[in-house]
Amino acid sequence: MATTTLAPRAGTYRRSMVYEWLTTTDHKKIGALYIATSFLFFLLGGVYALFIRAELAVPGLQFLDPETYNQLFTIHGTTMIFLFVMPMTTGLANYIVPLQIGAADMAFPRINALSYWMIPLGGLLLFSGYALGGAANAGWTGYAPLSAREGIGIDLWIASLVLLGTSSILGAINFLATIFKMRAPGLTLMRMPLFVWNTLVTSVLLLFAVPVLTAGLMMLFIDRNYGGGFFDPALGGNPILWQHIFWFFGHPEVYILILPAFGVVSEVLPVFSRKPLFGYKAFVFATASIGALGFSVWAHHMFTTGAVYLPFFSFFTFLIAVPTGIKIFNWLATMWGGKLRLSTPMLFAMGFIALFLIGGLDGAFLAVVPFDFHVQDTYWVVSHLHYVLVAGSVFGIFAALYYWFPKMTGGLLDERLGKIHWVLLFIGTNLAFFPQHLLGLDGMIRRIIDYAPNAGWMELNLLSTIGAFMIGVSTLPFMWNVFITLRGPRDAGDDPWDANTLEWATTSPPPPYNFEALPPIRSERPLFDLKHGAVEDRAASTPAARGETHGETRADAPEEVLGEPIEGHDDDGGTPGATPQVSEHAPDATPRDERPERSEARDDPRRPEDRP
Amino acid sequence: MPLAGVRLAPTKRTIFWLLTAALLVAACTVAPDTGGATGGGHSDPNPPGFFPTDPATAQGGLIAGLYPIVFFIAVAVFVLVEGLLLLIVFRFRRRPGDDTLPEQTHGSNLLEVIWTAIPAAIVTGLFVLTMGTLSEVEALEDSPAVEIDVTGFQWQWTFQYPNEDLSLTGLGREGPVMGIPINETVRLRLHAQDVIHSFYVPQFLYKKDVVPGRVNEFDVLVQEPGTYVGQCAEFCGLAHADMYFTVQAMERPDYEAWVTEQQQGSGEATPPPGAAALTLTSVDINTFDPETLSAPADAPIVFDFRNVDPAAPHNVAIVGANEDGSDWIGLPLAQAGQNATYTAPALEAGTYEFYCSVHPATMRGTLTVGTR
Repeated sequence: MATTTLAPRAGTYRRSMVYEWLTTTDHKKIGALYIATSFLFFLLGGVYALFIRAELAVPGLQFLDPETYNQLFTIHGTTMIFLFVMPMTTGLANYIVPLQIGAADMAFPRINALSYWMIPLGGLLLFSGYALGGAANAGWTGYAPLSAREGIGIDLWIASLVLLGTSSILGAINFLATIFKMRAPGLTLMRMPLFVWNTLVTSVLLLFAVPVLTAGLMMLFIDRNYGGGFFDPALGGNPILWQHIFWFFGHPEVYILILPAFGVVSEVLPVFSRKPLFGYKAFVFATASIGALGFSVWAHHMFTTGAVYLPFFSFFTFLIAVPTGIKIFNWLATMWGGKLRLSTPMLFAMGFIALFLIGGLDGAFLAVVPFDFHVQDTYWVVSHLHYVLVAGSVFGIFAALYYWFPKMTGGLLDERLGKIHWVLLFIGTNLAFFPQHLLGLDGMIRRIIDYAPNAGWMELNLLSTIGAFMIGVSTLPFMWNVFITLRGPRDAGDDPWDANTLEWATTSPPPPYNFEALPPIRSERPLFDLKHGAVEDRAASTPAARGETHGETRADAPEEVLGEPIEGHDDDGGTPGATPQVSEHAPDATPRDERPERSEARDDPRRPEDRP
Repeated sequence: MPLAGVRLAPTKRTIFWLLTAALLVAACTVAPDTGGATGGGHSDPNPPGFFPTDPATAQGGLIAGLYPIVFFIAVAVFVLVEGLLLLIVFRFRRRPGDDTLPEQTHGSNLLEVIWTAIPAAIVTGLFVLTMGTLSEVEALEDSPAVEIDVTGFQWQWTFQYPNEDLSLTGLGREGPVMGIPINETVRLRLHAQDVIHSFYVPQFLYKKDVVPGRVNEFDVLVQEPGTYVGQCAEFCGLAHADMYFTVQAMERPDYEAWVTEQQQGSGEATPPPGAAALTLTSVDINTFDPETLSAPADAPIVFDFRNVDPAAPHNVAIVGANEDGSDWIGLPLAQAGQNATYTAPALEAGTYEFYCSVHPATMRGTLTVGTR
């Protein structure tokens, strides 16, 4: 099983850093590779967006021609979704999920590495269109039959998406196996951190949705190259079929992009409010029901085709507002009565709530079918999806990066630069995307290189362009911040945020095997319990709580893993002053410098230093 | 526990004033409808605002009537959530040096049921309203007064009036004109020849996709005479941004006169009277032949366009030649080795640049108007 990384031979002979990173199966290194790669694609896709916005700043053709423009928005959308947000959230989960569940690695470390290496290859395929006769130009949705007629770029786009999809499927299976089979003893499903829950639901969505897209892409490829006729009415096919297939993937995809951000916010808010998550169970059920409902609303992207049963898809689209509303109000209640520390991760999490709300409310508008008739394919929809993906996913991703950066590197990102980043991104996002609501209401359609100069749309478009460039500029303080922090001292410590979950119970960065020992897990906040004495005596006396069973085969874990009643809501919170009953070598029970040497604190036969 | 943020208190305060200001601005601008109240039209469109552009049709009126209900519910939720967020920021910030734990509340079934039930009730109500409006908007009259078959193809529209034996095709900024009588039901049937297009007139607050292999139909009843610009709304390839058309709504007598006029005019393949004829050849992706042209002022220009390039499609476009100051673009493209005829609008005397809209960077030339 996951023993590959548990036998680090680095101590016996040295390999070059390059070789080490190219061949690594350590989930943390793979996670870091995912994050770095997807950030590069974020910059690339962002530059594309700036080209688009520069062209649209004023009416008339400025410096792009229609063909180049069509390629730009196609590659922008495809890159941001498949090469930035998806690999970024996968990378974060790759790094954090095994730590949060107290595992030593992912269930299938080598498949994990394979999943990662498909990402740069997929990106290469997508962009190779530029060298081979023009990149894909049918939009990220690739609607047939247009996509069946355009040039070779579409074939490369198909190949790229099939590869990236395969990577996602493998990743999803890996996460599911890891989460179901490798949790530490005591970490029942209903004690899992919300980030793990969201990764779990996201993985299920990926597993059901991506194969459908892959099948559709294969059909499109056959149509294009062998006269398949799946989507060609002249050959008995149906163009609407592509839309059903694409959106059956595409709508769950929206939740694949946003659920990890929900998870991050649900991690950050309790820590920086110093309160537990308000309504843990409600969050779990809301996440699961968003995932389930996500599969019953796909045709709301197709209201204007005249080919779908409108009431069904309208109703379920409305219904999604309910679990989303529960999340928003439970987040607010989590902060209510807390003691808020407004550090950068918290600012991004709160910015997420403030702005994602707009994207969410827009979703309810779009369920109003007659209104959708007006704004479908206009800038109103462009605004909506960017409020979900920039104000939602991107804010969530930056919250995660600021929050977990000290865990990953040992260095805390600078707060002042972080706040400059946040202010620029917050204002830029609103400036770029809010005016697009108004443009769409006035009838400006999307995916056009030019608009009529007498339509009265110039001022708002100019505003939107200024906002887009502000978003572009906002990445500069972030990158500078990362650069100087990586050069500076790595003195953040194990638990700089006074956090709740297991990843903070090991060193920063964690050792290859992740944990010396685990604290007892009696709620969804094991570290909080440890620090504030909420661990009951009964709990502390079990073998699991003393860390003795950690390292045994997970399948042999005590029955309590599955059978113990859920205590997340019922235990009586913090009783300050009570003496914590904890395992003697739980990492944060004593200050770092007073901790016994690692070599003294071992009773786990699998720990590598023990090997002769 | 010392935190990196604590010593930066002044910065934090600044940020929160900025946040407050931004939200206040947002809240203030939400209130008034900035949309103009005047009737629509090509030259005098409604300025963009928080409400949809003024509807021209009875069906659009229903949609515009439903919108404010949704909008004000959304504004209420927005103000509530953002207000709570701001309140939380100001009221529950940790004071420096305060290391005590707040009360550890894990949830409240009552509260959670409340904020599950209220949104569920709201969306159910909205769903009922939506279905009511939808059935009215989508209702089809038994015997519409006018029937029009709309055909969309890359990148033009054809409007056929089967009962009037009339067929109109046009392209570019203006596109073909669809004349319709006001206060009568017009049935539109949508056909596509190649890829998916979408028939969209913003002031109808309505669009319907034009799908190959499928005929979509809907009714409109326009209430005010006027000219309404329409555009293809579904991305359909290279010249998607220039796939316009115009709807001209008229009183019944005017409509009948218009139909008669079109019936006499239709079928004429000859260029407009007084047009100047020019021949232009595209050689390859870098070259027009000739690269300088001249034409008389104030006369439409008909291009006999010959694409001898075996490898790429080309066309001709003239910078700033449209009345509104935008570039006139000749469409459809002349495919590799094919010819095309383009009619450019009459131009004032002066020097114009022309280019190929597929290869604007490399294929350029100069058109001198008024010197012949």
